[in-house]
Amino acid sequence: MKDNISHSLFVPQQPDEVWEYLTRPDLMELWLMKNDFEPVVGRQFRFMTNPIPKFDFDGITYCTVLEVDPCKKLSYSWKSGPGDGLITVDSLVTWTLTPKDGGTELLLEHTGFKEARHFAIFSALDGGWFSNIKKIAQLLNDTPHGATNA
Amino acid sequence: MPDAFQVIADPSRRQMLHLLSKDSMTINSLAENFDMSRPAVSKHVKILYGAGFIDIQDIGRERYCTLKKDGFNQLQEWINYFDNFWGAKLKKLEFILNQKTKN
Repeated sequence: MKDNISHSLFVPQQPDEVWEYLTRPDLMELWLMKNDFEPVVGRQFRFMTNPIPKFDFDGITYCTVLEVDPCKKLSYSWKSGPGDGLITVDSLVTWTLTPKDGGTELLLEHTGFKEARHFAIFSALDGGWFSNIKKIAQLLNDTPHGATNA
Repeated sequence: MPDAFQVIADPSRRQMLHLLSKDSMTINSLAENFDMSRPAVSKHVKILYGAGFIDIQDIGRERYCTLKKDGFNQLQEWINYFDNFWGAKLKKLEFILNQKTKN
């Protein structure tokens, strides 16, 4: 069961060059999404893409820059919903850049699905609950009100 | 259908799902665990039902709640969606940076 979103990537470029692709709107758009990002803590920006009605997602991701440590670390909140300002996904995206073997190791973490992660395990479990209820029903039927365990 | 994340964002509803993960319960016995009015409990139960987290069965005079997979599956689908999303985006970034190295 997948319970955490994390991807890492090694690229031959130096961290400062990779940083550009994480923080310059025109370069970000090349591989991520159209956006109005600025690498300033507190900056509110948006990512724009196509809506996914199945997930109650109107195509706009609302973000606030939380941490900017040039060429090392970047994090922003990541919120989305069905529209009209309603937010149903409230999560956190963190980028970490580490110099390695003459290049850069880039780590992406998308977290904050804590509750979801906690409950996701249930979807992996199979049934059992309905047979439980039938058992209870049977007990109720077998035990008339006022009966004693004689 | 209400969004699954929003449904479980509420602590009382999370608590209800925890209680139901142990066994099915009547709405009345569920209500005994909460310091809130019976209509308030019913409202939460209705939301959980509407989002596919629980089933409600009438047995005799009681209404029994049991966990249902649909709501939980929706949460998992969202997480899987983001996982695939980032996997694809990073592949694209890797491709762009590799092209750059060659030029």
